[in-house]
Amino acid sequence: MSENIYTRKMGEEYDTVFRQCVSLNTELHKLVPLAKQMHLLSSNAVSSAARAGSEGDAFRVLTQDIQLLGDDVSHCINDTQKVISEIVMLASSLARSFSNYITYNDLHNRLEPKEMKTDVSFFEHGQKTVVERIKDDNHKLSRCLGALANLLSPVSTLVKKGEYLAVCSSVEAASAGEHGVSFEAVSTMLRALVSQLGKQSVRQRSLLRDLSEAMEKQQLNQRNLMYAR
Amino acid sequence: MRVENLFNKNTHSWMVMGRDEDRRKEVIDTNQYLVQNNGRGLILDPGGVESFSVVAAEFSKHFDLADVEAVFASHQDPDVISSLSLWIQTNPNLLVYVPKIWVSFITHFGVKIENIRPIPDEGGLITLGGHDLEVVPAHYLHSSGNLSVYDPQAKIFFSGDIGAALLPDDYTDLFVTDFAEHTKYMEYFHRRWMPSNTAKIRWIAEVRKRDVEMLCPQHGAIFKGDDVEKFLVWFENLDVGSAWSSV
Repeated sequence: MSENIYTRKMGEEYDTVFRQCVSLNTELHKLVPLAKQMHLLSSNAVSSAARAGSEGDAFRVLTQDIQLLGDDVSHCINDTQKVISEIVMLASSLARSFSNYITYNDLHNRLEPKEMKTDVSFFEHGQKTVVERIKDDNHKLSRCLGALANLLSPVSTLVKKGEYLAVCSSVEAASAGEHGVSFEAVSTMLRALVSQLGKQSVRQRSLLRDLSEAMEKQQLNQRNLMYAR
Repeated sequence: MRVENLFNKNTHSWMVMGRDEDRRKEVIDTNQYLVQNNGRGLILDPGGVESFSVVAAEFSKHFDLADVEAVFASHQDPDVISSLSLWIQTNPNLLVYVPKIWVSFITHFGVKIENIRPIPDEGGLITLGGHDLEVVPAHYLHSSGNLSVYDPQAKIFFSGDIGAALLPDDYTDLFVTDFAEHTKYMEYFHRRWMPSNTAKIRWIAEVRKRDVEMLCPQHGAIFKGDDVEKFLVWFENLDVGSAWSSV
């Protein structure tokens, strides 16, 4: 396969990676209101338990777990936001560096060594800088994707924990008399929130998988292009 | 692509490069100038990313680009300076002369602050291989931070976008050959891109203080001899900032 074909394929892969990073970023941003709702829910749960007096003792124990769950979800979302911001920046930097790489290739094709007063090696510094940057950004991007996968993997456990807490809250609601109504409301909202979290987590993992695959293809093309030179 | 010597005496010279007929048609044609003195080089308005490979390859035939110590940007536009990151990657020690007010904007092109030499609003001097070039304020013509360069030895005045013309593809001359005819390529550009008659008058007065044999814009053809004064008179009488919509 010629260098031009690898170059074109690599350009296409960079576009794909950048688009997928943006999609994943958009998807992860949807978690932000979810974190706020979790926080609000845990506050509601605490006040419901307080209003119930001694009848709310068992539910109060659950509210602590709901609060912890809310904190875990918030931390997870904050951490993923940081990583995805870095991923989008790296993807953008890679696309820009690759465009520079193409420009240097174009320059080398135009140079006519016999006519030149400038030594061809003068331009190699620029191209090497670009290639090093591409390699460096690729490594960083791979690391960030790994970190993001690690951050998203506990979400399914959080979802299960949330479902379990929702069931426990319903049980407490059934035995709490007139206060059971507000406990049940907390349970219903918790169930809805963790269900939403679960669905978004599935979608994000799928996007992350697509992005990792695109990255692998792009890195393969990059290696081929380097060997082709 | 046309490359021509504008001035060459002893160890001091000016070279222009323009009319890239291979460029993509949606990309405006630009003139790049290489000033050399005592073996040191300065590129004026080095151009956009699109033209980097052409400019670098062409100038390489005439000068060792390793000896280019600086680039000068008359203002911040992409056709003027978006190739900067490529020049810097090639030569990390390159000095970049830019209008002071654009420093924090031009750094978006990937240049480090250590490379930048901000030029204050009042202008100043650029010393190249022991020879001083004057930097003359040209603010609001068209950019709010805009500079021209005058070389007293070569009597060449680099005017950036002032004097620019939007030439048809079949116009291959590097110099203005028929001034009256040429005004039709300049009028819309100056009425549309130049916003201030006051700034225009101040700049014209600055040019007239100097002995100018050539007035060199970043786009279009170069004015030589009597055409320099003809341009100043034409520009003086033109109501700029007046080509918006149906105005």
